Amino acid sequence: MKRIRNFFLITTIFLLTLTSCIPDTPTEVSQEPVGEVPAEPAEDLTLLVWDQFYRPEESAVIDQLNREFENDHPGVTIERETKILEDLKLTVKLALAEADGPDVAQVNQGRSDMGAMVEADLLLPLNEYQTQYNWANVFGTSVASRNSFTPDGKTFGQGNLYGVSPTAEVVGVFYNKGIFAENGWSVPTTFEDFEQLLADIKAAGITPIAFGSLDGWNAIHEFSAIQHLLVSLDYINNLTYGVNNVSFDTPENIEAARIFYDWAQAGYFTDGYSGIGYDDSNNQFKAGEGAMTITGSWFAPELLTGTDQDFGFFLLPGFSGQATVAIGGVGIPYSIRKTTEHPDIAAEYLNWMISPRAAELWAGIGMLPAMSLPEGSDVDTDNLFGETLFAWDTINTNNAVGHYIDWATPTFYDTLVAELQKLLGSVSTPAEFTVAVEADYAQFLQGQ
Amino acid sequence: MKPQAHHRPGESRWKGYLYLLPGFLIYLLFTLIPIIETVRTSFFDWGALGKSNIWVGLGNYIDLLNDSTFLKAFSNNLVFIIFYSIIPIMLGLFLASLLGRYPIPGFTFFRTVLFLPQVISMVVVGVIWRWMFHPTTGPVNLLLGAIGLEEFQQAWLGSFAWALLSVGSVGSWVQYGFCMVLFLAGMQRISEEYYEASSLDGANELQQFIHITVPGLKSEIGVALITTMIAALRVFDLVYATTRGGPGESTLVTGFLIYRTAILNNDIGYGAAMATVLTIVILSLSLLIRKLMTERSDEAA
Repeated sequence: MKRIRNFFLITTIFLLTLTSCIPDTPTEVSQEPVGEVPAEPAEDLTLLVWDQFYRPEESAVIDQLNREFENDHPGVTIERETKILEDLKLTVKLALAEADGPDVAQVNQGRSDMGAMVEADLLLPLNEYQTQYNWANVFGTSVASRNSFTPDGKTFGQGNLYGVSPTAEVVGVFYNKGIFAENGWSVPTTFEDFEQLLADIKAAGITPIAFGSLDGWNAIHEFSAIQHLLVSLDYINNLTYGVNNVSFDTPENIEAARIFYDWAQAGYFTDGYSGIGYDDSNNQFKAGEGAMTITGSWFAPELLTGTDQDFGFFLLPGFSGQATVAIGGVGIPYSIRKTTEHPDIAAEYLNWMISPRAAELWAGIGMLPAMSLPEGSDVDTDNLFGETLFAWDTINTNNAVGHYIDWATPTFYDTLVAELQKLLGSVSTPAEFTVAVEADYAQFLQGQ
Repeated sequence: MKPQAHHRPGESRWKGYLYLLPGFLIYLLFTLIPIIETVRTSFFDWGALGKSNIWVGLGNYIDLLNDSTFLKAFSNNLVFIIFYSIIPIMLGLFLASLLGRYPIPGFTFFRTVLFLPQVISMVVVGVIWRWMFHPTTGPVNLLLGAIGLEEFQQAWLGSFAWALLSVGSVGSWVQYGFCMVLFLAGMQRISEEYYEASSLDGANELQQFIHITVPGLKSEIGVALITTMIAALRVFDLVYATTRGGPGESTLVTGFLIYRTAILNNDIGYGAAMATVLTIVILSLSLLIRKLMTERSDEAA
């Protein structure tokens, strides 16, 4: 009997273990009734929308737009559900397969998210609405391809449009204007000047680049920002969309890895950067520690408030005589559930979210809108926001908007994070780094 | 109760089982079925979020054997056993024999404080220790600096040499209080007479510890070994909250790899195969320990 009890004890413990290995993925499907279509009025319905704008300033923008949408569309009620990105990514794949799932949801770009959902036939192609609303005037093909897949979900960057993005992002250099002014430094215009500046700042006893690689992902941005200056935009497009059989193991990528490694070795990053997280590093920079930091424009709203420091933004400059290409793109897009009963009103809502009015509200909180500001807008651009806007306009105008290269394969993010940590930790050389990353990429292309 | 209400022997037992039914149904729904489903899933190559799954038989398992990332993660789990089981049990035994035999003033206070890490959520533990290990503002490095050991200051969680050791130590910190309380409870069962008698025979404290305390706590040590070892093999939240497996793969563990593979990268069949292997390993090790413990107590008897 004792043995039997023991057996049950052990079985219980191990069964509990198994079920707790995989973290809970709550599937909070809203109980709200979604749009029974009553005879009249024709538009008396509820639109269920899932988004990840949970930060207070962002959330206020969405609430404002929703209110205005409801006022403009009598009978339509917006039922909004907000999640943090990680939670949204986990639950939306399941929810969009449900008959009472969200009519509109933000769907993360890339193969593991939008690609997988297109393959599973969960998203409505938006091509007809693109024509109807003339979205070609709102965003160009470079932006549209980031939210496009072939209907089988296999080929990224072409085929049908599955989402529209309200916000834009550009990765560049934030700098502390006070520290620059005190030391007589100015914004560099070539990569050579930039490297000289790093040496000068270091010599002055100041941390040149506030950086923390503990969370991993931002190291991809640092490396890839340098990479974007060494390769052509075509290469970045091919690599990201998995077309034309490019390799990651190229002299340019080795050179980018070497420069990144040399910066670390020269002490240009925060002391102990490998043990510091992204947010911690940003907080240190905001508090005035470090002359510069390399990250995306999404950091700007945070630097506009709650600090007595004055910050500016510039694009990592190109090598002399070469173009400046920067990592950039559009934020997480809104998509429509394939089986929604209200596709037209959902499309109307998408159009609303990328309207000039939305642009103005986003700009008001310092977030880059993906669409142009309306004529005569009174948004203050004589500040850090204006500088990120200028940078975004510059790469847009010059057709120099690069990519987040971790979209290239479903495992590219994990591979890049691990391999960049090995590179910085002197566990592998720049040449070994590109070989290891290429192994992931080649395997992916082979499986395509 | 009227005598007529009694059933014949044997029949009434079924009624007893009936009371177990609600609990069993919950168990079935939330534990047994998910496990069967996980094992079944592990034989498929998952496609289009489950809409086009391809039967691959043992294919996922064969791939696992050649997957250096999985093997690395699994070997890290084995290292975690040292930090989660071996060290806490030794520390727990030491503290229990100290606190249990020689009651000190404020005993309850110390016992509570030492047990505290066990009741904190692992994610909170992770956040706390991420701060503790911060290279420039973390107390660990500040303390080293204060006592003149600057050369030992590290970026603990970001260092290839130290990250696994650092995360592992946090595991020891969480587990030793549990072991200690378990052993303290067990020690109350050991008669004081054994200690008195052995003292009269001239046994010193170390000998008493080895020949009286440890054998007396055999079943508690068995329970501690099983629970902490399971914790070591399934560790997820601590790694998730501190290093996410980095730098490189130096703190990557199977639990985190399963999450990454199945949930983030949609490779659910492959992730399920990993989960199944992990479960089999945990089950076998638990049964083995249980068997060893029972045999040894049979011998003792």
